[in-house]
Amino acid sequence: MLRLPRFGVQSPETLDDAVTALAQPGARIVAGGTDILPNLKHRLDQPPMLVSLARVTSLREVKEEDGALRIGAGVTLTDIAEHARVQALFPSLAYAASIVASPLIRNMGTLGGNVNLDTRCRYVNQTHFWRSAIGGCLKSEGDVCHVVPKGRICVAAMSSDLVPVLSSLDASIVNVGPEGRREMPLLDYYGADGTKHTKRLDAEVTSEVRIPIPSGATRARYAKWTVRDSIDFPLVSVALRFSLASDSVHAEVTDIAVVAGVLGSKPRKLTRLEDAIGRKLSDPTVAHTVAERAYAQCKPLENVPYEAPYRRQMIRVHTQRAIEAIIDAG
Amino acid sequence: MPGTSRPSACDAILLRTTINGDAVQLAVEPHHTLLEVLRYQLDLIGSKQGCDKGDCGACTVQVDGRPQLACLTLAAHVEGREVTTVEGLGLSHGGCHPLQDAMDRHDAAQCGFCTPGVLMSAESLLRRRKAPVDRQEVREALAGNLCRCTGYTKILDAVVDASEVMHGDNDEGGSTAGEAAR
Amino acid sequence: MSDEAEIPTNQIGKSHRKVDAMERMRGITRYTDDIKLPGMLHAKIKRSPHPHARIVSIDASKALAHPGVHGVITGKDLATPYGIIPWTPDETALAVEKALHVGDGVACVAAVDEDTAIEALDLIEVEYDVLEPLYDPETSLERRDNQINPYARTGNLSKKVLLEFGDVDDVLDKSDIVIEADYFFEGTTHAAIEPHCAVAHVEPNGLLTVWSATQVSHYLHRELAKVLAVPANRIRVIQPPLGGAFGGKSEPFDLEFCVAKLALMTRRPVKLLYTREEVFYSHRGRHPMKMKYRTGFNKDGKITGVDATTFLDGGAYSSFGLVTTYYSGQLLCAPYGFDAYRFHSRRAYTNKPACGPKRGHGSVQPRFALECQIDKAAETLGLDPIQMRLRNDIGSNAVTVNEFRVGSNGFSECLRRVQDSSDWSRKRQDLPYGRGVGVAGSTYISGTNYPIYPNDMPQAAVQITLDRSGRARVFSGANDIGQGSNTMLAVITGNELGLPLDDIRVLSADTDLCPVDLGAYSSRITLMVGNACVEAAAKLRRLVTEAVGKRWEVSRKRVTLADGMAIDREDPERNVPLADAFQWAEADNGLLGATGSYNTPKDRHGEYRGGTIGASPAYSFTAHVAEVEVDPLTGVVDVKTIWVAHDCGRALSRKIVEGQMEGSAYMGFAEAIMEQHIVDPDHNGVHPGPSLLDYRIPTFLDTPDLEAIIVESPDAQGPYGAKEAGEGPLHPSIPAIANAIYDAVGVRMDALPFTPPRVLAALQARAERERAGELSPHKPDTDGARRIA
Repeated sequence: MLRLPRFGVQSPETLDDAVTALAQPGARIVAGGTDILPNLKHRLDQPPMLVSLARVTSLREVKEEDGALRIGAGVTLTDIAEHARVQALFPSLAYAASIVASPLIRNMGTLGGNVNLDTRCRYVNQTHFWRSAIGGCLKSEGDVCHVVPKGRICVAAMSSDLVPVLSSLDASIVNVGPEGRREMPLLDYYGADGTKHTKRLDAEVTSEVRIPIPSGATRARYAKWTVRDSIDFPLVSVALRFSLASDSVHAEVTDIAVVAGVLGSKPRKLTRLEDAIGRKLSDPTVAHTVAERAYAQCKPLENVPYEAPYRRQMIRVHTQRAIEAIIDAG
Repeated sequence: MPGTSRPSACDAILLRTTINGDAVQLAVEPHHTLLEVLRYQLDLIGSKQGCDKGDCGACTVQVDGRPQLACLTLAAHVEGREVTTVEGLGLSHGGCHPLQDAMDRHDAAQCGFCTPGVLMSAESLLRRRKAPVDRQEVREALAGNLCRCTGYTKILDAVVDASEVMHGDNDEGGSTAGEAAR
Repeated sequence: MSDEAEIPTNQIGKSHRKVDAMERMRGITRYTDDIKLPGMLHAKIKRSPHPHARIVSIDASKALAHPGVHGVITGKDLATPYGIIPWTPDETALAVEKALHVGDGVACVAAVDEDTAIEALDLIEVEYDVLEPLYDPETSLERRDNQINPYARTGNLSKKVLLEFGDVDDVLDKSDIVIEADYFFEGTTHAAIEPHCAVAHVEPNGLLTVWSATQVSHYLHRELAKVLAVPANRIRVIQPPLGGAFGGKSEPFDLEFCVAKLALMTRRPVKLLYTREEVFYSHRGRHPMKMKYRTGFNKDGKITGVDATTFLDGGAYSSFGLVTTYYSGQLLCAPYGFDAYRFHSRRAYTNKPACGPKRGHGSVQPRFALECQIDKAAETLGLDPIQMRLRNDIGSNAVTVNEFRVGSNGFSECLRRVQDSSDWSRKRQDLPYGRGVGVAGSTYISGTNYPIYPNDMPQAAVQITLDRSGRARVFSGANDIGQGSNTMLAVITGNELGLPLDDIRVLSADTDLCPVDLGAYSSRITLMVGNACVEAAAKLRRLVTEAVGKRWEVSRKRVTLADGMAIDREDPERNVPLADAFQWAEADNGLLGATGSYNTPKDRHGEYRGGTIGASPAYSFTAHVAEVEVDPLTGVVDVKTIWVAHDCGRALSRKIVEGQMEGSAYMGFAEAIMEQHIVDPDHNGVHPGPSLLDYRIPTFLDTPDLEAIIVESPDAQGPYGAKEAGEGPLHPSIPAIANAIYDAVGVRMDALPFTPPRVLAALQARAERERAGELSPHKPDTDGARRIA
């Protein structure tokens, strides 16, 4: 079988102990294991020590506090999807969590793992032998990019389902490290270099994600396309959130957030959506305008399977349909 | 590329866990998965290795009652937890769980290689639902378990049937397919 | 067949619990990787990262010196070329001279554990002289200067077949219409969930035992003897229970030779388990085929003639390619009768994993082309596609244009059953734009009349013994690969002897214990091994009924065996348990044992070169209707339901037959919609995703409802009339879906798979033509899905 490299495992019981353990050179976090273990089997990394968060129970809480819902990084995707308050406050998040990969992955995978999911690329997420046939790349053993042939920056794809949704909900992420606790808007957390696409320091642990509870009416939705209805990573992914003047799809849109994933290494928040603000959400020009902006601003790359031009067209279709579905739902 | 010397951190660790109701203590290598420990150390061969990395579900076991992938679970992760494998499924049912019986009646196992994983996901569904299930619920609950033989049809028949046997109004009435000839 | 006027009906046609399923369900069945032997070593194969390279040198000294390593072998240690087809031995267990595709094996290490073996692989130094790779079959045929396979006879031509029956050009000239089109069938692979695995063990006296996840233990036995230069009587091959195969385990593979050689060298047991990635490199899956078809029709819908030109992309080795090349033409001449036929098929070597037999070997691809051709003709002629197929049915006891003799034929009933079940006529009329139904038909063989290596011995044999406790033991070389052949043998034995299946023990696929069987391929087992089993069991029934008749002083014909008892037909109150009856028979005859053999008829094919290839004792027939919904804005095809009617002659065990039909339809659906086994020519010929994540096979949520409808048209050649059910029902899924897509949205998908980008591109091309006035809108009067802008 495809085997893991040799490493040690430590299983601290508190967040502080986890942070201490992570200070060892080369130590890496394992939580649900569904991202890092395949990557280690592929020899994308060979850490001497894995620090398991499995026994850090403090990371598994969901709390409403100070006008926000705080979801611990150790909460599994299944538990997010089934959590009554998440469903009530943030249906697009519950839905996105309910369609990540497969039921088995969702039972294991955690929120912290999902928001820190390593970027993915068809030329990277392969065995060490496979990569040796093409000489590796910027993200593995080589110094070239097979997606952008002369590119000097890795463009592996941010493939999390939750990151676009959480970003559209203005969530922030909390990391705890030797220097203490820092919180930042999730959108600011990601960078353009696929080899190191988050601002998390190696010795930091993501402890929670904080989502502000909106004061007014909103409508939100997540849309993705995969070839199969299970197991697959998203190939097209877009999260939408509309703030409304009152609790009706016929009310005026007061704010819009649309965030797409699976492009480059970071989520992309659409800009220039002002034309749609001030209109009724049910006004067909809103859906049309947002979908056209999405098409204009989102440029998928050949970093994941299925042709980029097709995926670009699908961003428009799925954006438009998501808005239509919000309107149909009333 | 692999190093030939082992850091001392890689030395075996003592694992204390419960497997199919029995307390187990054994030394495991930290980089070994639960699947390897079950199959190659404990000779619990029912959990299968199909894809190497979480893509097929043949290795599905339950940890504290929830189905998960043993090939992506470090053995060290089940310290203090309860692991149930397909070998433990029938223990409280006289050796044969109603799901196993229904799968047998419906010829829902062809090669049988995905079957243990399918059973572990299906058992979790029926235990959580405590009521007869419909085909769509079964499809969703088993969507992480690939089967290459059956086209899934007979598995769906069997799981729905088993849910009726276990949770239907009529204790006798689940077996709508009739008894297969022996 | 049975020697009684009355054929027993104890078990035939019922549903059965399989004889070996419960232990699989309980997790106690030992598959190959579940075998653990004392002192067992673990082997790993070092593989070429180049698609085409000469091996200059291999230095394994550092690997051999690595602690824990017990043996290293290279191509030179197993240099005898072999091949499943005796006329094309063109591969070696490990590359001797050249590596021919990314993933081709070059060396193998045995070590104390897998981790150590992997470490040692990296210490083997291989110097390669990298050569130009060839990926396109037509280009490869032209490039005689760059011969890929060193054992090939003619450049990169692996096999060429040109056969003509009747005057095709003349017939097409005189036809009312000729439909001409190019089709492309993409390669796909088997993806059995169990990866290949083999274990070898040598006893102190030198007897070698190889356990392997194979579907051809007999051929493996022969090839091991040849390559290892060990006499066959010093080798035992055992096929443990198998975790799926579908043709992917139907010839010898590198791992089997490697574990055997390393066990002989080290005198320790050796196991080798493929990673999933290695399964993709071993492949032997469906050949990509480029097919040009010209088909003539008369106005009444009668097919007049077929002219087919086909290029097969064979990959690096022959595998079954000689047969595949024939099958690409020879299996197309039913269920439709026509007067003239020509096919010209060429198989080329390319620098890719070798293609071979996948479920529906060789004939799934041309069937796709022909069934789409018929659909196009039906449209042109304004005929209903089902009516048109009914009109062309060749019927029972017919001779095809290529001179195969067809026995029973339930094709028309298959068509009528799917027509009724699917509500075809209403749906053809009423389904709106975006929804559609399509139909296709097919035939398949129930084994082939000639074995792979020429010999006059039986093609199948079964031995049965009875014991004093009232049990039967059935010994058979047949490979149960999950299709249920062990249960089939128990059903037949139980049927003849009146035994419940629980009282029958089937021992199969062990070359030391069981009579030879050729293996699980070409859908041969039910018909061939089933016939042999009927013969053996009927002999024993005669001995038992005679012994009972003697005790009761009645004719043995008055004695019937049923429900675990011997019963006087005329006085059913008089009966004894079978255990007593068996004891009486043993007292009269000595130990109760009987053998049965089966050999094929040799008069059911034409007398021309190649006329034996594809000729079968009996042919199954299938018809599918598929219903689809096509999303015009995304190109996503959602297959809702496939109705599968299959003439299996006689269903020996109904649920098992249904399971074969459902599994076949699933596999065809998967090939139609998503599967592609390819290499990337722009990235050194790597497989773009050798994993079950990237090689997508449908999940529970993706698979349509599959409605299996058994049709029984008993064939005189089959046991109780039975024909095959495991491969035939795959064929029509793909063209039925293609034809349903056309019905839904008016685009012809002539290249597989029908991925969303391809379907969308076809829709956009059609919309372009509609805008230009070249086409009118499809289903203009219906309120369907939103059309493409």
